Amino acid sequence: MTLPQFKFLAPTNLDEACALLKKHQGKIKVKAGGTDMIVRLSHRAVKPDYLMTLKKIPGLNEISWDDQGGLVIGALALLREVEVSPIILEHAPMLARAAHATATVQIRNMGTVMGNICNASPSADNIPTLVAMEASIVAFSERGQREISLDDFFLGPGRTALAADELAIAIKVPAPAPKTGVSYQKVSQRSKVDIAAVNIGALVTLDGAGNCARVRISMGAVGPTPLRARQAEEFLAGKPASAANLAEAGRLAAADASPISDVRASKEYRKLMVEVLSQRALAEASGFAAGN
Amino acid sequence: MSDNQDFSVVGKSLPRSDARIKAVGAAQYADDIFLPGMLYGKLLRSPVAHARIKSIDTSAAEALPGVKCVITGADIPKIKYGNWRLVPESQDEYALAIDKVRFIGDEVAAVAALDKDTAEEAVRLIKVEYEELPGAFSVDEALAENAPVIHDEYQQQTPNISLDRKISYGDLDRAFAEADLILDDVFTVHATSHAYMEPCSCVAEYDHDGRLTIWTSTQAPYFVQCLLALTLEMRENDIRVIKPYVGGGFGGKMEMRPWEFCAAFIARKLGRPVKFTLTREEELATGRRRHPMKIHSKVAFRKDGMILGKEFIVHLDGGAYNSMGPTACFLCGNFGAMLYNYPNYRYYGAHVYTNKPPAGAMRGFGAPQALFVAETQMNMAAEKLGLDPIDIRLMNAMETGDEIPGVATISSCGFKESLLKVAEMTDWRERRKNLKPGQGIGIGCYSFISGGVFNWFNTRYNFTRAEVRAFDDGTVHLMTMASDIGQGCDTVLRQILAEELGLKISDIRLTAADTAVTPQADLGTWGSRVTLMAGNAVRKAAQEIKEQLYKMVSLKFDLNVIHDMRCKDGKIFPANRPDRNISFGEAVRMAQRANRGEPIIGYGSYTPRNKGLVTPAFSFGAQVAECEVDRETGAIEVKYMTTAHDCGTPINPMAVEGQLEGSVHMGLGYALCEQFIMKEGKTLNTTFLDYKLACAEDMPPGVSVHIDTYEPDGPFGAKEAGEGLVSPTAPAIADAVYHATGYRCMDLPITPLKLLKGMKKI
Amino acid sequence: MKKELITLNINGDDIEVAVHPWRTLNEVLRDELHLTGTKLGCGTGDCGACTVLLDGRSVSSCLTLAVEAEGHEITTIEGLSPEADHGDLEHSPLHPIQESFIQKGAIQCGFCTPGMIMSAKFLLDHTPQPTEAEIRAGLSGNLCRCTGYNKIVDAIADAADKLAKGE
Ligand SMILES: Cc1cc2nc3c(=O)[nH]c(=O)nc-3n(C[C@H](O)[C@H](O)[C@H](O)COP(=O)(O)OP(=O)(O)OC[C@H]3O[C@@H](n4cnc5c(N)ncnc54)[C@H](O)[C@@H]3O)c2cc1C
Ligand code: FES
Ligand code: FES
Repeated sequence: MTLPQFKFLAPTNLDEACALLKKHQGKIKVKAGGTDMIVRLSHRAVKPDYLMTLKKIPGLNEISWDDQGGLVIGALALLREVEVSPIILEHAPMLARAAHATATVQIRNMGTVMGNICNASPSADNIPTLVAMEASIVAFSERGQREISLDDFFLGPGRTALAADELAIAIKVPAPAPKTGVSYQKVSQRSKVDIAAVNIGALVTLDGAGNCARVRISMGAVGPTPLRARQAEEFLAGKPASAANLAEAGRLAAADASPISDVRASKEYRKLMVEVLSQRALAEASGFAAGN
Repeated sequence: MSDNQDFSVVGKSLPRSDARIKAVGAAQYADDIFLPGMLYGKLLRSPVAHARIKSIDTSAAEALPGVKCVITGADIPKIKYGNWRLVPESQDEYALAIDKVRFIGDEVAAVAALDKDTAEEAVRLIKVEYEELPGAFSVDEALAENAPVIHDEYQQQTPNISLDRKISYGDLDRAFAEADLILDDVFTVHATSHAYMEPCSCVAEYDHDGRLTIWTSTQAPYFVQCLLALTLEMRENDIRVIKPYVGGGFGGKMEMRPWEFCAAFIARKLGRPVKFTLTREEELATGRRRHPMKIHSKVAFRKDGMILGKEFIVHLDGGAYNSMGPTACFLCGNFGAMLYNYPNYRYYGAHVYTNKPPAGAMRGFGAPQALFVAETQMNMAAEKLGLDPIDIRLMNAMETGDEIPGVATISSCGFKESLLKVAEMTDWRERRKNLKPGQGIGIGCYSFISGGVFNWFNTRYNFTRAEVRAFDDGTVHLMTMASDIGQGCDTVLRQILAEELGLKISDIRLTAADTAVTPQADLGTWGSRVTLMAGNAVRKAAQEIKEQLYKMVSLKFDLNVIHDMRCKDGKIFPANRPDRNISFGEAVRMAQRANRGEPIIGYGSYTPRNKGLVTPAFSFGAQVAECEVDRETGAIEVKYMTTAHDCGTPINPMAVEGQLEGSVHMGLGYALCEQFIMKEGKTLNTTFLDYKLACAEDMPPGVSVHIDTYEPDGPFGAKEAGEGLVSPTAPAIADAVYHATGYRCMDLPITPLKLLKGMKKI
Repeated sequence: MKKELITLNINGDDIEVAVHPWRTLNEVLRDELHLTGTKLGCGTGDCGACTVLLDGRSVSSCLTLAVEAEGHEITTIEGLSPEADHGDLEHSPLHPIQESFIQKGAIQCGFCTPGMIMSAKFLLDHTPQPTEAEIRAGLSGNLCRCTGYNKIVDAIADAADKLAKGE
């Protein structure tokens, strides 16, 4: 199908971009890589009068690390760049795994991690790990810059906490505490290259005694937004990551999930997968934590 | 082997003759054709599954600038069509809906405009008022009392059963009475998409001489020609159908389709070329598909494993129109009785209308469904009787010379050899016993036809024909209507001709699949008919050429009449005196002179006669799947496929392997990942994001061996290799999954959810 | 709405073309410029038949806006072996990936082939000696219904060898 008609805007700096957002509020859509947006346009799920690309704005594709501030991933950093970035592979390899698990080679060559987040699909591959790692989004508008924790970023499928005149310009991931491990787990019902039926990001920080000091579990595709497995997190706090404890944590995570049935998987399958994958993610993350 | 000579070209893994043009992107498919002044067409499809059309208002669409034509059912001749011309009442489709729509996607109107955007916009502007009717979305719903009647204009004995078929031989009641084991199971198998990578497309043009030319992505140019003539009320000879390169068909492109009709109709009306190209969404949401079936199969065994008889009751969920359903209904009954000797057999097959996109022909044509059931039951019986699945098969396997009563005689059969071979290659007996938890190994087998005998299209011509023109520069020109849709018949037919005439592939020009210039007629590419049928025709045409040229050698060397002649390496000579040779070109020159300038042309036809009711020849084979199951997630990974198959002489082993590997892809998809998710007749997964084809990472490596047989009815001993192999994969994988987990699938596809439920994890 | 005049660099040539902003690169290549080697199999980024290289990176031309391709080097299947365009069409050397696809039986209907070859090019440019698993992963965005992929995998391994030997 051909795309619907729109006027195309290609601002070359953030101020201009935000001014356009404000001016055409309600009639404008933003694209980065466009791998979600162009598909939505062709299905006529959206019909904006204006389509604004961010691609002409310089400086938005950096990937940088600093021991204090942690990791910054610019809004235009491609999935492919995150997948192979030496910085990410060194400091946050699970983000590379999640990026690699997203879509196909071509889509990763076009799409951005930020697009994956702002698209706010419950099954997005890059969200759970970032949530587990306590990432936040740097939002920019005429009113200035603010940081939004990913925990507060998702309001519903396709809906985020960004205001209509705001752009997301970077993802910030704090440097993990010592003895911290992260894992990303994904399952799909049909193919190795597929949208997740369920995905889980987990972060575990161990204390001196080897017990779980901090646990964060984010579950994808089991609710309208990525969900935290709060009961499981609380249960594990202060406990060793033993098989029995992880199994219980898995059961608690499943209890916190509220999946639906759709063309990709059924509710009951998703529930069970939360249990299985969160155990696997916690086992891997605590294993890494012990080694770190 | 007979044909006791060494082949020079046949049996060689030559690259396909069109590989180069495809590798550089220069091969033109229908949508690659642009004609001056060409308009773009678009179809309006029904959004409702079953309704009466109360009114159609096209005025807004017509008023849109750039729109050149809008047509609806009211504008076209009220003529029904369908491939089963032999049974006129089975022809149940209008090119555009008249009065009623019967599935979501039924074509209601068509638009032609200056560009695609305008055509799409115009379609959105057409207003149709529907009076919705209750729908029937499964066999059970369609056969329920008070079910909505989908084709109310026909008298049907049972409403919604468009036709049925019975086969019966032997004394089945006695077989069941004497049986030690009776398996009595109901299976369901699902619909899948052909998913050829090239969406359907055509370009039609009408010239001032009154000729309509259509380039179309088709497997059967002749069907398109005949049915366009019928529905446009034109003469066949005024319609020229040209098959450009075709990006796969698998059965999905073997009928005349509404867009071909609309392109032709509008081109004729406006005198401008018109192109229609479907979107992938249209293909997936409304396209033909493999028949879902409900199969009740009851098999009687003696305790030593001998099959005593079988009752096979099949309900085909045909969707809204017959399409190729009658053939599937017909063949399913035959495949239910294939592979093994069923001394007593009863089949009832019924083709049922439902308000869903019509099912049509798809690679295997009834065999994947019937054999999924038959092979699964063989594995079940083996287990119940404490036998090895291969032993129980060997005990019952068909052999050369076996007869299916009243239906066919098996003229060559490498089935037992295939079974023994896969057992040996996989170390079957050991591995079946000793695998790690989560690992499984399973078997499935197949047989298939090499082209059909039954003339349902009711052609008045031979089934296929070839013309070969010889030139004095030592080359020949082969003309055939056989249609290469990717399977490689252009290459294989050249190989057959090159072998027969002792020429090189590069000495052969080929013109194929253009109804105006290639010989009448060929029924097309389906039913695995081309290699055997067109191959035989090509051989015969070559033999006519040779007869003319041999005379020249005899004359030149004043040879005794008893000499046997050979064509080899571009030369013609007596078999026992290769030194007395003349070149092929020289022989053509001499023959032409001797005939006062008459060109040297050979013709060959083939129509199966005295070959029973089904096919001239059957292929056979066995396949072993190895898989690994994640017992927590239900994820199934197929690790390796081992295949032994009997396709007679492989004319091009590399091409045969390619068919095999492609079949494994389709079979694996059938078993595991491909399915339509439907709700009230609506297809919910209409992109490849959600209609999942296995990708390269999902596909296992594998090995295949060819079992050496010689098919007396095939060219150089060849028979089919294109379709049968799609059948064993699903039962083999299902058996491996059973072996790994204890879950026996009786309703395809095997999803992780079903598997985990079967393992009582959910 | 008025069209915009843009300059696309395609296979080394600068080509001016007037386009609407909602035109995809695939539409411009095929419908406007008749560079039909690049196919359209789905239009939603799922099949890979439309794959081209944009500054050496494999992308889906069906999801790329033509206006956004301006200023980038576009390589299509037609540009992979420019030598083949003149002289002896039947025998002139093609890119090693194309040669391997031909020799190894990796082509059947050929509809996926141009996209497959462009993906293979991207893969081998970045991973000159790929393992079988890397080849399969490199084809994750290209569907083929005919071959079952195994011969394509073989062909790419073969091409990698040839390229390593400098053939
Ligand atoms: C074939 C295919 C397969 C896919 N498979 C997967 C998969 O396996 N897993 C998965 O998670 N996703 C998948 N996707 C979805 C998509 O590729 C990803 O979500 C991708 O990361 C989106 O990035 P993008 O840059 O292309 O986003 P765009 O399409 O450009 O934008 C996506 C959304 O985010 C908004 N947006 C983007 N950038 C900003 C910004 N800086 N500020 C504010 N809003 C912004 C846009 O307005 C839009 O609503 C697939 C898509 C396709 C076409
Ligand atoms: S046509 Fe672009 S990915 Fe299928
Ligand atoms: S060769 Fe036909 S789709 Fe790949």
